[in-house]
Amino acid sequence: MTTQYTAAYAKLENSLAGSSLGWLKALRLQAKEQFIEQGFPRLSDEEWRYSNLALLEKKPFNPVSESELGHIDIADLEAYKLSDCWTLVLVDGHYSASLSNLAGIPDSVIINSMAEALISHPDKVKGYLGQATETKEVGFSVFNNAWFTDGAFVYIAANTVLDKPLQILHVVTDAEILANTHHIIALETGAEASVIETFVGCEEQYATVSVTEVFVASNSGLTLYKTQLEGDKAIHLGGVYVKQARDSRFNHANFAFGSLLARTDVHIDLAQAAECDLNGLYLGAKRQHLDTHTRIEHLEPYGISKELYKGVLNDKARGVFQGRVIVAEQAQKTDSDMHNHNLLLSDNAEADTKPQLEIYADDVKCAHGITVGQLDETSIFALQARGIDKVSAKNMLTFAFANEMVNKIKFKPLHDQILMHVLNKFPQAGIDQSWL
Amino acid sequence: MSSNTEEIEIEKVIGQKYKEGFVTDIEVETFEPGLNEDVIARLSAIKGEPEFMLEYRLQAFRHWQTLEEPNWAQLKIEPIDYQSISYYSAPKKDSDKPQSLDEIDPQLLETYKKLGIPLDEQERLAGVAVDAVFDSVSVATTFKGKLKDVGVIFCPISEALQEYPELVKKYLGTVVSEKDNFFASLNAAVFTDGSFVYIPKGVRCPMELSTYFRINAANTGQFERTLIIADDDSHVSYLEGCTAPMRDENQLHAAVVELVAMDNAEIKYSTVQNWYPGDENGVGGIYNFVTKRAECRGANSKVSWTQVETGSAITWKYPSCILLGDNSVGEFYSVAVTNNYQQADTGTKMIHIGKNTRSTIISKGISAGKSQNTYRGLVKVAKSASNARNYTQCDSLLVGDQCAAHTFPYVEVKQPSAQVEHEATTSKISEDQLFFCQQRGISAEDAVSMIVNGFCKTVFKELPMEFAVEAQALLGLSLEGSVG
Repeated sequence: MTTQYTAAYAKLENSLAGSSLGWLKALRLQAKEQFIEQGFPRLSDEEWRYSNLALLEKKPFNPVSESELGHIDIADLEAYKLSDCWTLVLVDGHYSASLSNLAGIPDSVIINSMAEALISHPDKVKGYLGQATETKEVGFSVFNNAWFTDGAFVYIAANTVLDKPLQILHVVTDAEILANTHHIIALETGAEASVIETFVGCEEQYATVSVTEVFVASNSGLTLYKTQLEGDKAIHLGGVYVKQARDSRFNHANFAFGSLLARTDVHIDLAQAAECDLNGLYLGAKRQHLDTHTRIEHLEPYGISKELYKGVLNDKARGVFQGRVIVAEQAQKTDSDMHNHNLLLSDNAEADTKPQLEIYADDVKCAHGITVGQLDETSIFALQARGIDKVSAKNMLTFAFANEMVNKIKFKPLHDQILMHVLNKFPQAGIDQSWL
Repeated sequence: MSSNTEEIEIEKVIGQKYKEGFVTDIEVETFEPGLNEDVIARLSAIKGEPEFMLEYRLQAFRHWQTLEEPNWAQLKIEPIDYQSISYYSAPKKDSDKPQSLDEIDPQLLETYKKLGIPLDEQERLAGVAVDAVFDSVSVATTFKGKLKDVGVIFCPISEALQEYPELVKKYLGTVVSEKDNFFASLNAAVFTDGSFVYIPKGVRCPMELSTYFRINAANTGQFERTLIIADDDSHVSYLEGCTAPMRDENQLHAAVVELVAMDNAEIKYSTVQNWYPGDENGVGGIYNFVTKRAECRGANSKVSWTQVETGSAITWKYPSCILLGDNSVGEFYSVAVTNNYQQADTGTKMIHIGKNTRSTIISKGISAGKSQNTYRGLVKVAKSASNARNYTQCDSLLVGDQCAAHTFPYVEVKQPSAQVEHEATTSKISEDQLFFCQQRGISAEDAVSMIVNGFCKTVFKELPMEFAVEAQALLGLSLEGSVG
């Protein structure tokens, strides 16, 4: 099964980012060997028990080289670009300078494609690459490490505040394409930044594999948004692996609306008094399968982790939430809180949720709560009693359930974009879009 | 309270001795260690079992040989050599079963007296019908006559196989199949005894039924099998207790319990598990691998599991309910206490299949010393289970800074009208709480006792009276110094 990909990438070997660097070759080779041995995760792997990746092995998904890039309708792309942002565009797994806008970036900041960064700042990249990716569990990060074609490299020097967010926009243009990208976001002491990852693509069946490594140095803070708006038939595997140093802050907001099969891993290691805040919303319809897997490891004392994921599932959609909090022996005074709430709208929808606490320290405050249910009949009745028809009432309440997550977005252009997508899912919520 | 006093309390906890650790010196008949088809045939022959049982056992054994030990639990288990265990040990040389209490080895009776089991004259006072299983065979069943008057069958399963083979055949293995899992297959192949209960239609069992299990002989495994059937409109409350002597090597206990509740029937199953947990350095102790499952087959049926788990070096146990009948109810109340090097991975499965089925899970874990305490549970709502309802609460209390508490709940819902809630918390007895009590003139020890008892109260109140007392005493034993 793995041979399909080893053969496809063998042809591309010299066009992968940093192909002339010996250390990177060694890293890729090691990952490749591990992938050949393990393959893609299977249902028998505990962390993958609800998501079947067989499709990736059955279908011929192919990486493309830079010269074979598909055609892009610029107007379509503009709809996804956010105003008031720097934009880095990746087409079919390769950086597109012409579509990107990185003008006016401060000197103390490096924002570049991974391929270019490996030429201009190889030592900086070397210090980060592969240092945060998941190795303990079977996943897709070895696949990514072996063969990522390109990606983004973001480096914010000490005490620098990036005054505009950076949007990393992933586009896949055609059927059967496999886009495989690897990003690094590194913040030095006291730095602040926000980054938005947007995933879009065509209506054909394609696959995206994307890994983002995040390094938040002491006293720095990163806000990372992920907007997964892939095409209806797409397969999406996205991983965010974070190393948080002392007193650092990391906010993540994860919106999963697209794809046929999507899985997001968010794995975080927390040092002393580091804080993370994870929020997520998945809206599934038709036959969509949306899986989120989060793992927070409190390695040192005084860490704080907050997590809230909400899901709305309609038609035959299946939502999966697996959240794991591990508190190491020395991580006393940890404060951790995890919640997952699911709304099932149809008879054939399914929600699977698995919150886990693993606690090896005694002086901690850890809680989790989950619910799976439907809309409250009395609330629907209350609206009906005020002359609102039942469908609108349900739409309104569902929208309100989801909107809590949208309201957490602080960056206005992104907030509006997400809100539009949510409203489109519940057209009868009676919210006038012209208000926005 | 100063952290010093707290340390002393914890010291007391860790220094606590196992009270039931005596060995009864009686003549036993024991098989050579080892397991093969001959051993199973011999075992079946000794028990005088009907033909179908031998076939059932051999089928289970052949399947077991194809299986591997499960390793998904949060447990560190020393490899078990299944060929070094003896699969049969009986307290008497002659294979004749005792006919009445008078015939029972007085030393055996002494053992039970030490355990506080109301076997002879205490039977009337306690009003509890007891079936006692010693190593591999059932030694006495009290109150049999009185139960027979109302049609209740309560006897060792080996006896039931001879007297009511059709009844046993009809139900045995229908809830936990002989291919269910590694330990259930092993049990099906080699189980030696256990209790059999049949409550006929419309009967409310006049007294609480109870079984005490004890492992005595060295180097033996205990494999008991309990089968309880509550026919339409019946009710039964069943109690189970277990102890074992202190030995340096680990002993294996792999039991299977099957419950069947028909229309409007109710089964209440309570366990106080106090197998030998090993010494303070983690040497010895019982490996407790138990498959317990109930099937609410009939409409409006109800099964309630209550367990107090204080013993065993390793506990691997998930009493479950399959809620097949419409409006059926499953309940699970658990207190699991681990100390020293004990490891417990326990919880429940609630499988909602019928309409309007409800389940409640209350799990309280207390870890002390260097122990590991894990709650693992599954709530599954099938598409057919409209209006299913589940409420789960699991709380962990940490005593000492070297223990661990884990929570692994799984929730799988395929029905939109279902309502499933899960809550979990982990905390320690806070300085503030202790200070608050002490400020009001309550000693540190009493305060800890109050807090721990309060923590477990929702579960203890589900236990039958006799057991509630025993459970609280046991909690006191396991956590003495912290509990009054």
